[in-house]
Amino acid sequence: MNTFGLAPLILILPVIGLLLNGLFGRRFVEANPANGERLTGWLASLMTIGAFLVSLSLFLSLLAHGFEPIIVPLFNWIDIPSAGFLINWAMQIDTLSVTMMLVVTGVGALIHIYAIGYMHGDPDFSRFFTYLNLFIFFMLILVSGSSYLVMFVGWEGVGLCSYLLISFWWARLDKNGVPANANAGRKAMIMNRIGDFGVILAMILLFWTFGTLEYTGVFPSAVEMFESNHMVAFGGLSVPLATVLTAVTALFLLGVAGKSAQIPLYTWLPDAMAGPTPVSALIHAATMVTAGVYLLVRSNVLYEIVRTSGATILGLISTPDLVAWVGALTAFFAALIAFSQNDIKKVLAYSTVSQLGFMVAAAGSGAYVAAMFHLVTHAFFKALLFLGSGSVIHGMEHGHHHLAHAGHGAAQGSGGQGSAAHGSGTGAAHLAAEADANQVHGNAASDEVADGFDPQDMRYMGGLRRRMPTTFIVYLIGSLALAGIIPLAGFWSKDEILLHDQTYATPIFIVLAIAALGTAFYVARQLIMVFFGKPRHAAAEHAAESPALMTTPLVVLAGLTVLGGLLNLPYLTRAMAEANHNHPAGIFLMLESWLEHSLASFALAEEGILALPRTPVYLSVLVATISTALAVGGLLLGYLVYRGRPRTSSEPDRLARTPIWWWVVLPLNSLYMKGFVPAFNRFSVWLADKVDWAFWHDFVHDRVIRDIFVTGADFSANVLDAQGVDGLVNGAGKTTQRLARGLRLTQTGYARTYALAVFLGAIGLLVYFLLMAG
Amino acid sequence: MPSAVNINWYIALSSILFAIGALGVLLRRNAIILFMSVELMLNSANLLFVAFARHLGNLDGQVLVFFVITVAAAEVAVGLALIVAIFRTKKSINIDEINLLKG
Repeated sequence: MNTFGLAPLILILPVIGLLLNGLFGRRFVEANPANGERLTGWLASLMTIGAFLVSLSLFLSLLAHGFEPIIVPLFNWIDIPSAGFLINWAMQIDTLSVTMMLVVTGVGALIHIYAIGYMHGDPDFSRFFTYLNLFIFFMLILVSGSSYLVMFVGWEGVGLCSYLLISFWWARLDKNGVPANANAGRKAMIMNRIGDFGVILAMILLFWTFGTLEYTGVFPSAVEMFESNHMVAFGGLSVPLATVLTAVTALFLLGVAGKSAQIPLYTWLPDAMAGPTPVSALIHAATMVTAGVYLLVRSNVLYEIVRTSGATILGLISTPDLVAWVGALTAFFAALIAFSQNDIKKVLAYSTVSQLGFMVAAAGSGAYVAAMFHLVTHAFFKALLFLGSGSVIHGMEHGHHHLAHAGHGAAQGSGGQGSAAHGSGTGAAHLAAEADANQVHGNAASDEVADGFDPQDMRYMGGLRRRMPTTFIVYLIGSLALAGIIPLAGFWSKDEILLHDQTYATPIFIVLAIAALGTAFYVARQLIMVFFGKPRHAAAEHAAESPALMTTPLVVLAGLTVLGGLLNLPYLTRAMAEANHNHPAGIFLMLESWLEHSLASFALAEEGILALPRTPVYLSVLVATISTALAVGGLLLGYLVYRGRPRTSSEPDRLARTPIWWWVVLPLNSLYMKGFVPAFNRFSVWLADKVDWAFWHDFVHDRVIRDIFVTGADFSANVLDAQGVDGLVNGAGKTTQRLARGLRLTQTGYARTYALAVFLGAIGLLVYFLLMAG
Repeated sequence: MPSAVNINWYIALSSILFAIGALGVLLRRNAIILFMSVELMLNSANLLFVAFARHLGNLDGQVLVFFVITVAAAEVAVGLALIVAIFRTKKSINIDEINLLKG
């Protein structure tokens, strides 16, 4: 018995939710705010939970079915019988897509439930849940599609949802009157369009070469053509398959850079934090941004063919190596940039970019299972961290409201003038959110904005562990998992990536190891600034724990973060593999043996057709020691630097200045602090302010890309469109009018004129026939 | 047996009648006269039909003349009715005044 027939339900359920919420949600909420919110929120959540249950049943069916991929056709999408051109809309249910479905719907359901609490009182409550269900729908299309084209529909759809949700509070202006949220949405859209352009070109090339975009068609024929040294004809030009696939995989990398926020297109992700926090957790940490990694893993055969053939881009670097390097450098730089962020969500945003870099680096160096393993565990702990940060922000806002009520608002804000460096845009947005929420609750608190307080700025926090104990514990678990502390999920998955690269790509291993050290450092900095020390703002003193609706999903995610490592635990995986060896059905399951069935390049490597570097899952004492040492060292370093700091919200960052007594007390440390830290800090600040913001964000993106885009758009709108296209259209109209005006003159209305015309015509015909006859 | 008149004379007479009719249609303004001119053209054609029928010893032309006369009668009936209707509204049958159908 299997339940593959149920597969379409995972698409239908979110559609039901989004239609009901989209059409009637607003009316429910307006009719009765409390019950309406509960109704729309739980409706959306239940649909996602339903999709999760269906995914679970698909998982069980796959087990019973011996892990073989199943194609569930839905309908003929594009059918041109005369040309023999047929594209089916079908779902491919295999171990890879089911893994993604489980993550998307499982983590998605938890975030839906959390959002019911978080979005409470928002005037656009039902719109939010409509978008969330729309997102789940498109994300499931993306992962379940049986061809690149169907995947691309989902790919574009989640991009749209990302845009809609980043600019969810689109009308809000920051303190300079700039619609920062709407701009952030546009930025995400445009960055992603650049990447999509690569994906479209890659698909055209694939279709040209293989005549199909189905996974089950492309991969086998790619291998077959590769083995027979097939040449691909482009008109008169004949090109080796490996060259074509190099172009395809490089173009896919562009798409991955856009969707998964890699160098050079990563800049939209930090800006995307303008969206509500559940969105940051769901779309911009756990699921959508991993679509790029999914694309890489799905296309593993193509990348491995390129790797095996040794084809390179201009003789410099092969595309899998390029992917690995892009990922590793992204992991490294994003971790460094995270050092100088003061906005709690921005730290997590750069951390996400960095962790996505780990996954991309893993996929690029051939550790596909490790990439997926890290994708899953990262979905757990990063969703946990984002939702935790939402809980912190919620608590800070609560504290701030408390102040406004108690009547000692602005004055007690200790040093509130500290400029909120990069977080200012989103911060102001959240203040506006707060003001809105107040109106909903019936309190006018318009004076709150005056002291420049920002509930997301970590400099105003401190000591929150006493005020928000549940949030603190789960946040601590998530942070330690992110830092890679044994035995939390993050350790196992990161370790697997490091182990693979230590074996096969030492330079990438070194870059990733440094990134891991940096990760632990900013994790320590954030933990200390948020939860330890003394409160640096009255709001932090009065912060309150979030409601159970928000903390329950946090606890569940914390549980998953603790246990996530079991998915592919080295010893367990080995034992299971041996058990599978003895058991005919091979039912004992770890991520490695589970995903193996979707990764065709594994089997091809065993047959000796592809040269895939493969690392068996085991715990290398060397790598585990190095990674634990780096994690503990980074945390310790962070602790030493930030212990009890900053004391006030306006105190400069610890990395920026070093007190004299370090010289006396800890000479070695102070040497480090005097020599390395300021230089390093300058480097980090330079990287963040100059390279990242001034160069990438302001210069390359705003000047170069935006100006080129604006100039191009201006040219198309005012010259091409207004004069060219409009000229053509209006010209056609004017010509017709002029012609008609001339022809009208022949219609005199005098009967004799018509008679004469008939007469002359008759004579003309007569003459013609006579002459012809003659 | 009447003396045979050369067919060319019939053709000439018919042509002259047709030309008179055609010029009448083109030059005159009175609708009644226009009609009479049209009739003249039709009858010039009839003449030619009969003449050729006689000349070729074939009755087809004679038969066709009856059809022409019938159609002409019907046409006159409709045409006169139109002229009467026009006269009632415009108090004139000058066809140059009936010029509403212009662009």
